[in-house]
Amino acid sequence: MKSKKGRMVFFYCLIALVVLFSLSPFLWQVITSFKPSQEIFSRPVKYLPSHIDLSAYSRIFIRHPFGRQILNSIFIASISTFLCLSVASLAAYAVARFKIMGGRGFLLFILLLSLFPPVVLIVPLYEMVSSWGLMNNWLALIIPYASLNLPFAIWVMNSFFQQIPGALEDAAKVDGLSRLGILVRIILPLSAPALATTAILVFIFCWNEFLLALTFMTRDAARTVPVGIAMLSGASQYEIPWDQISAATVLTTLPLVTFVILFQRKIVEGLTAGAVKG
Amino acid sequence: MKHGKKPFLTDRRFGYLLLLPALLLFGLVIIYPVARNVYLSFHEKSIATGMVESFAGFKHYLKIFTRDLRFRQALGNTLYFTVVSVGIEFLLGLSFALLLNLNFRFRNFARASVILPWALPTAVMAMAWRWIYHDIYGVANDILLRLGIIREAVAWLGKSPLAMHAAIFSDAWKTTSFMALMLLAGLQSIPQELYAAASIDGAGGWARFRYVTLPLLRPVIILALLFRSLQAFAVFDLIWVLTQGGPGGTTETLSVYLYSYTFRYLNLGYGSALSVAIFALSLIIIFVILFFQREEVELG
Amino acid sequence: MKGKLWVSLLVLIVLGAFLTTGVLAQEKVTIRWLFETDFGGGWKVLIENFEKTHPNIKVEMQEGPSATNTREDMYTTSFMAGESTYDMAYADLIWVPKFAAAGWIIPLGDRLTPYEIAQFLPGDIAGGMYQGKLYRIPSQSDAGMLYYRKDLLEEAGFEPPLTWDDLVEQAQKLQNPPDLWGFVWQGNQYEGLICDYLELLWGAGGELLDAEGKVVLDQGTAAVEALQFMYDVINTYKISPPGVTTYQEEESRHVFHNGQAVFHRNWPYVWTLAQKEDSPIKGKVGITPMVHKEGFQSAATQGGWGWVISKFSKHQEEAWEWIKFATSYESQKILHFYNGYIPTRHALFADPDILKESPHYPDLWRVQINARTRPQHPQYAQISDILQRNLHAGLTGTIKPEEAIKRAAQEIRELLGQ
Repeated sequence: MKSKKGRMVFFYCLIALVVLFSLSPFLWQVITSFKPSQEIFSRPVKYLPSHIDLSAYSRIFIRHPFGRQILNSIFIASISTFLCLSVASLAAYAVARFKIMGGRGFLLFILLLSLFPPVVLIVPLYEMVSSWGLMNNWLALIIPYASLNLPFAIWVMNSFFQQIPGALEDAAKVDGLSRLGILVRIILPLSAPALATTAILVFIFCWNEFLLALTFMTRDAARTVPVGIAMLSGASQYEIPWDQISAATVLTTLPLVTFVILFQRKIVEGLTAGAVKG
Repeated sequence: MKHGKKPFLTDRRFGYLLLLPALLLFGLVIIYPVARNVYLSFHEKSIATGMVESFAGFKHYLKIFTRDLRFRQALGNTLYFTVVSVGIEFLLGLSFALLLNLNFRFRNFARASVILPWALPTAVMAMAWRWIYHDIYGVANDILLRLGIIREAVAWLGKSPLAMHAAIFSDAWKTTSFMALMLLAGLQSIPQELYAAASIDGAGGWARFRYVTLPLLRPVIILALLFRSLQAFAVFDLIWVLTQGGPGGTTETLSVYLYSYTFRYLNLGYGSALSVAIFALSLIIIFVILFFQREEVELG
Repeated sequence: MKGKLWVSLLVLIVLGAFLTTGVLAQEKVTIRWLFETDFGGGWKVLIENFEKTHPNIKVEMQEGPSATNTREDMYTTSFMAGESTYDMAYADLIWVPKFAAAGWIIPLGDRLTPYEIAQFLPGDIAGGMYQGKLYRIPSQSDAGMLYYRKDLLEEAGFEPPLTWDDLVEQAQKLQNPPDLWGFVWQGNQYEGLICDYLELLWGAGGELLDAEGKVVLDQGTAAVEALQFMYDVINTYKISPPGVTTYQEEESRHVFHNGQAVFHRNWPYVWTLAQKEDSPIKGKVGITPMVHKEGFQSAATQGGWGWVISKFSKHQEEAWEWIKFATSYESQKILHFYNGYIPTRHALFADPDILKESPHYPDLWRVQINARTRPQHPQYAQISDILQRNLHAGLTGTIKPEEAIKRAAQEIRELLGQ
C-alpha cells in the first residue's frame, strides 16, 4: 500500500514536471509583460513583479499598429481557413466518392506535396506577387495559405467522408437531391465535427505562418502579428523592448491558448484522423 | 433517379469539376513555382547581371556540389539540427504520450498544457527564447547560476557549439508537443483488449510495451518522424529570429542560407538552384524513411 | 418601393460628393521611410518643423528593427517588388551601390550645385556615389575612433596610444578584470566586425580590394596580423573580455560607459552619451585615432547615413523637399543635439553652440576627413558576409587566422569571378 502511494506521488511529480516544461517559457512571457520596466533589467532576476504594470500593453497599441496587425491576422487566417476548407471538402468528396485520379494514389501525391519545405517556393511566389501588384495585399497570403494547407485538409476530410455510409447518399438521390445538393445538405452537415477540427488546425497554421508574411508584407500596418512581433526586435540588446514583446506575445497567443483549452479533444482527434487512419 | 437529364455531367466529370479548384491552387502555388525554380536554376539572374536572365547551364549546380563551402556547412548544420532535435523530441514525445495516455486527475489540463507549445507561433516563441537566453538578464543563466551548474553567465547564442544547442533545445520544447500529440493519438487507437490478452499471457509492463505498443504504434511513429524530420530540415523562423545564422555561420541552416541568397544578395538564379537542391534532399529523406517503413512491413 | 430606391440613390450621390470633395480638399501627400526607433527624439522635432512649413506633406517614419541588416533586407524586399511602400530610404553608405546597381534609386547629383556639394564632407559624398553619380545626400557622418579614459591614463603618466603595442602595454598595466577591462570593441558576426577589422588591416598596410577591384587581402602579411591581433587581445594579452565576440556597438559601449573599460573602439555617438549629466565617465574621456601597427598609419572606417529616393515613389518631389530640409544646417544641428549625430557639413564642426558642448569637434573633423570607405561594390553585402563568417571563425578559434584569411580571399575571388 505504502509503495503504491509512493508511486502515485512520483507519478504526479512527473506529470507536474511535464506540465512545467511545457508552460514555463510562456508563463515567463506573461510575468515579464506585467513587470514595471526597471524590474525587467534587474540582476539578479526578479521572479515576481513588485506590482502589476500594464503600461507595456498600452504602449504596443500606441507606438505600433499592433491593433491593426491583430485584425490582419484574424481576417487573413479566417478567410484562408474558409477558402481552404471549401476547396478541400469539394476535392475530398470527389476523391472519396467518385474514385478518380487513382483515389489513394492521388492522396499520396498530395501528402508528398505537403511535405516539401515552403522556403523553396518563395522566389517564384515572390515574383508572382510582385508582378501582380499584390505586395501588402491580403490576397498575397490568403491564396498561398489556403493552398499550402490543402493537402492536410483534403487528407483529413477524405478520411471522414469515407466513413459516411453510401446508403445515405442513395436515399438522398431517391429524394431528388442533386449531387451538389447531397454534398451541401447531407455530407457536410454530417461531417461538421470533422470540418470544425480541420478548421481549428488550419487556422492555427495560418495564424503562425512567418516566412511568407515576412516577405510579402512590407508595410507595418499590413503585417501579421508574428512578423510584427519579430520586427519589434533589434540588434542592440539593450534597446529591445522586451516588455512590449512579452505583452504582444501574450495577446497574440491568448486566442491560441483558448483554442487549445476548449478544443484539446478535437485537436487530438483531428491529428488522429490525419495521421492514423490515413 | 433522373435518367438522361444531364448526360454531359457524368459522375466522373462531376468529380473532376469538384477537384478543379484544388488542382488550380496546387498548380498556382506549388507546381508552377517548382517548375519555375527548375527553369531559373539553369539561368543567371542576379544583381550582377542587372536582374536579366541568361542561360547558365549546370554552372550553379556544379558550384553547389563542388565548391560552395557555405552550402556544405549549412547542410551539416541542418542535418545535425534535424537528427538531434527529432531524436530528442521523439524520446520526450513518446514518454509524454505514454504518461498522458494513462488515467489520472487533471488529465485534460495536462494534455492541454502539452499541446500548447505546438499551437504557439514559432517566430513569437523564438523571441521569448531569445529573452530567456539573454546573457545578462536572461532567466536561463539566472537559474543555472543559482543551482550552481554554471559559474559565470553564458552567452548562449554567442558561442559556436552553444548557439546550435540552444536552438535545438528551443525547437525540442516547441515540437515535442507535436510528437506527443501524434503518438498519443496513435496510442488511443490501440485496442485495450490486446493489452488484456497480453497480461493474461503473463507479459509484464516492459514486455507489453515492447511487443504490443511499439509494433502497433510503428506506422504512427514513422509518419510522425517523417513529418518532423522534413519540418526540421526546412527550419527557418526559429533560426531567423534566434540567431540569423550566427555566430560564424554555425547555426545557419539551408533555408536561412537560401533566404540570404535571394533576398540579401539578390542572386535569384543561384537561389533557385539551391531551392532545387533542398527539394531533392527532402525527397531523399522521404525515400529513406519510407524505405525503412517498407522493410519493416515486409519483415512483419 | 420605387420612392425608396430614389431616396437611397440620392443619399449615395450626396455621400459620394462629400467623399470626393473631402479627398480633393485634403490633397495631402504622405512620404514614408523605415528607420529604427527614434531614441533621441530629434526626428520627431524635425518632422513637426517640416510639416509646419509644408502643410501638404505628411512625413511618416515607420519604426523598424535596429539591426541595420534587417532594415536593409526590408527595403530590399520592397524595392525588388517594385512597390512604393517607401518613398525614400535612410541608407547606410554600403547600401548605395547595391540599390543603385539594381536601379531602385534615382541619381540626385543634378539637383545640387557643385558649391552645395562642397559644403559636405568629402568622405560622406564619396559614400553616396556609384559609377560617378551621386545617389545619396549625407545626413549623418560616422568614423571609427579610439576612446580612452583620460583620467586613468594621466594618473599613470601615459600618452594616448599610437600603436598596437602601446595599446596592449597600457591596457595590461591599467586593467583589473573583470571590474576593469583593457579594451572593448565590436566582435560579433555582423557589419561592425568588418569596420573594426578594416581599421586594423589598413593600419598594418593591408588592403581588401585594390584600385581595380582585385582581391589583394591575402597578399602580404597584414591581413593575418590584423586578425591575429584581434584574437590575441582576447586570448593572449587578455585585455578584452571573452564576451567581446558577441558585442555590437551598444554592448561594448555599455561596458565603457559604466567605467569598466580603459579603451574603447566605437563611432562618434559615444562621446555625446558619455558627456550626459548622469554618465559615470563624464569628463573622463578622450578620443584619438585608432591605433596602428608600428611603422604604419592610423585609419578610420567611414560610416554614415543619408537619404536616397526610391524610383518607385509616386512623390519624388515631395521626398526631395524633405531631404533638402532634413540635411540642412539647422536640421543637422537639431539631430546633433537630440540624437548625438555627427553632422556631414564642414561648417557645423565650427558651430559655436556645438563647440561649446563638444570642444573635441576639431579633432573629430580631422578623423572624419581622413576616413576611408569600404569597397563600393554592388555585391558588397555578400563580400562582407564572407569576411564576417571567416573572421569570426578565426576570432573564436574555430580555425587559424591564416586559414580564415585564405578562405575569405578565395571565396571573394570566386564570387567576383577572379
